[in-house]
Amino acid sequence: MTSLEVHELTVHFDGRPIVENLSIVVPSGAFAAVLGPSGCGKTTFLRSIAGLITPSSGTIRFGKQLVSISSLVLPPNKRHIGYVPQEGGLFPHLNVAENIGFGVSKNEKIDVVDEMLDLVGLKNLATRKPYQLSGGQQTRVALARALAIKPQIVLLDEPFGALDAALRNELREEVCNLLKERKTTALMVTHDREEALVSADIVALMRHGQILQYGSSRNVYSNPISPEIAVSTGDVLLLKAERDASKSIRFALSQIDLKGEIELGQLVIRPEEIIVSPEPSAASLSAIVTKVDYYGHDAVLQLLLDSWPDEEITARIAGPLGFSVGQKLWVKHAGPIRWFELPHKK
Amino acid sequence: MIAIAAIPLLYLIKRGSEIDRASLTNLLFRDRTIEIYTTTILLASIVLLFSFIVGSTFAWLIYNVTLPFGSLPIILSVLPLAIPSYVLTYAWISIYPGFKGFWAAVLVLTLSTSPYVTLVAVASLRRIDFTQVEAGRSLGLSQLAVLRRVIWPQMRVSLSAGLLLVFLYVLSDFGAVSLLGVNTFTRNIYTMYRATFDRNGAAVISLALILLAIFIIALEFRLRGRRTVIKSNAGIVKTHVKIKVGWLRWPLLTLIFTYALLALGVPFWVLTTRFIQNTENIDITSLISATFSTVIASFAGAILAMALALPLGILLARRSGFIPKLAESSILLTHALPGVVIGLALVALSSKFPWIYQTLPVLAFAYALLFLAKAVGSIRASLQRIAPILNDVSETLGITGFAAFRRVTLPLAAPGILIGFLLVLLTAMKELPATLMLRPTGFETLATEIWAATSISKFNEAAPYALVLIIIAAIPTFILTRPDKSDSQAQSEGLIQ
Repeated sequence: MTSLEVHELTVHFDGRPIVENLSIVVPSGAFAAVLGPSGCGKTTFLRSIAGLITPSSGTIRFGKQLVSISSLVLPPNKRHIGYVPQEGGLFPHLNVAENIGFGVSKNEKIDVVDEMLDLVGLKNLATRKPYQLSGGQQTRVALARALAIKPQIVLLDEPFGALDAALRNELREEVCNLLKERKTTALMVTHDREEALVSADIVALMRHGQILQYGSSRNVYSNPISPEIAVSTGDVLLLKAERDASKSIRFALSQIDLKGEIELGQLVIRPEEIIVSPEPSAASLSAIVTKVDYYGHDAVLQLLLDSWPDEEITARIAGPLGFSVGQKLWVKHAGPIRWFELPHKK
Repeated sequence: MIAIAAIPLLYLIKRGSEIDRASLTNLLFRDRTIEIYTTTILLASIVLLFSFIVGSTFAWLIYNVTLPFGSLPIILSVLPLAIPSYVLTYAWISIYPGFKGFWAAVLVLTLSTSPYVTLVAVASLRRIDFTQVEAGRSLGLSQLAVLRRVIWPQMRVSLSAGLLLVFLYVLSDFGAVSLLGVNTFTRNIYTMYRATFDRNGAAVISLALILLAIFIIALEFRLRGRRTVIKSNAGIVKTHVKIKVGWLRWPLLTLIFTYALLALGVPFWVLTTRFIQNTENIDITSLISATFSTVIASFAGAILAMALALPLGILLARRSGFIPKLAESSILLTHALPGVVIGLALVALSSKFPWIYQTLPVLAFAYALLFLAKAVGSIRASLQRIAPILNDVSETLGITGFAAFRRVTLPLAAPGILIGFLLVLLTAMKELPATLMLRPTGFETLATEIWAATSISKFNEAAPYALVLIIIAAIPTFILTRPDKSDSQAQSEGLIQ
């Protein structure tokens, strides 16, 4: 396996830059996820790594091998990458075994196909045609087909997008484990923030053709570089805040007195960092429940603080729901303070 | 490839330019020519109108109304494709000897051409996402309003192409108008060629006909606008709910049955009774050899057409740019070349080279040229339906170029290509004027045997040949009439070319 290094990559389509000055490094054996909304250029980025699109500038390296410099590119068939497109892209006229063996040379075919069928657990479906397979099975075949050529890097384009929630989690775990066991360098693009956070070692947040932040899942989630980035990895509570020269911060949940000159800003808080309790405790503030969104495994409460009536607070609470609208309770903040300047007015 | 397609045209232009200006003006603007213009355009327009009414009504019924007898209605309304217009004409004349003239031609040609409209309309109706119809209904539109505001905009383009086909069919029809004594271009060209061997004059009239056809094609291109078939969403299961009409379905079904009686019943009845009355006089050897010749010539033509069409289809399906545009126009041009014109051009051209004059390869080449557009149309449509991602995947797996074509593209396009082949085969079997002009001496096909007998009113003798022709032509037609079973996209694309 090998690392992937993309340096200042720009890709144009119809004269418009779709990917702009994008740089990223995926270490050998790591699983990276590019997370972004549809239309941010993530599929274009993936396809230029595969060599299916010619970039206008920038370099792409697989380990030490330079595969793309400016618009001089190594064709996709020389790159040894495992490409798993959206919805699998299985050849409809070939059965499972023939699909898996498509890129394998004749004399290795039987062994490799056998090994791959074992790997993805589809031994008994070897002679089925793609249309006879479920969505999850199709994804497995597409992955097996990509791995069969012993790729340097595996590229996955929304691999679980078409599956229903239960199957999605199960298959995601299975695929991640499989790629990690084989120490495969993999890059997945997705618009699903949970999927990116749970499966990847490295998450890159992509917007308008650029990567705005990347790092470990935990890092991008808890240390967002801007409120916009914070929104793309999870729910966010954005609160007005003020701070003074000594960096003391005053906001809804910390109503201390400030001295001297005061600067306005905003805070990013995750709803799960708000602690809710039916009893008062040290530093907790009283509030009234105004709305309850019940999700089953957890719930989100909208709260109105008695001492700060101009902003509503949301809190995520786990487990059995013991609160109802109109109830009085106590809240406090337990988490990092993420201060951001107010966005510049244009 | 483009050059090959343009050979007959260039030849005609050369011959036409050899005429001096005075006789050119005389030829083009004498009363007789003006009359031919008027007759041809009038005939084609009236047939277009009628076959539009018949074809779109039938398509609507088949698609949207619960009719009894399963797929019988569609089979009955499309099977007349297997009957050449000259056989249908001959059947009508033989039960009704006074059957002659302009309106007789309107009837016969409407019966012959409406299957094209029906087939194209049914295929394009089937492509429409039915959830759009349901959404329209739920937004308060009546059935009629849905038809006008949801369905019509999406099928307009295909239907218009289908109607273009009808118009060109009438322009190039030779057998029916000749038997019915209607003076159109094709008949005139053939007569000039036969009676006087006036090839320059015939070339000029041919060019006038080509110009008319090109004008019509350009007009249709202008009017059709852009094709807008929009799928709401992939993965939606389309449950198409047909309208239940109760007792009304019987009168509606009668419409289709009446059509089938006129277009299928009449020829079938005439041919079988004539055949039975005349069994002792049948020349079995010539029947067998004519059948054999028909099969050989049409197979050769169809194979050649597919061989020429494959690279063109690939070019048109894959790339955009100047060359494909040029190729596309040159294929459209072959549209505008009726059999009698191709026949004329190739006769004159090949007579310069005695070693190919009136040989099977020239005939096959004529078929290939005549039906190139059909072949290209089906190949292109079946190639375009292959998801581009499959080629991408194949490339990343190290399979490119010819290997990818052989292992991915070809197997996926094969059903559509086969349909195109059948379509060309069917049309070549029925082809008359080019066959008459180009066949090798002594090489009689079913079509030429039928023509030889019917043009001198020996209807009994024609019957066995016509019966055999219809039966073998019915086989590919039957496959084509099942758009539900076969590759309907490729088929309708092939048809409307």
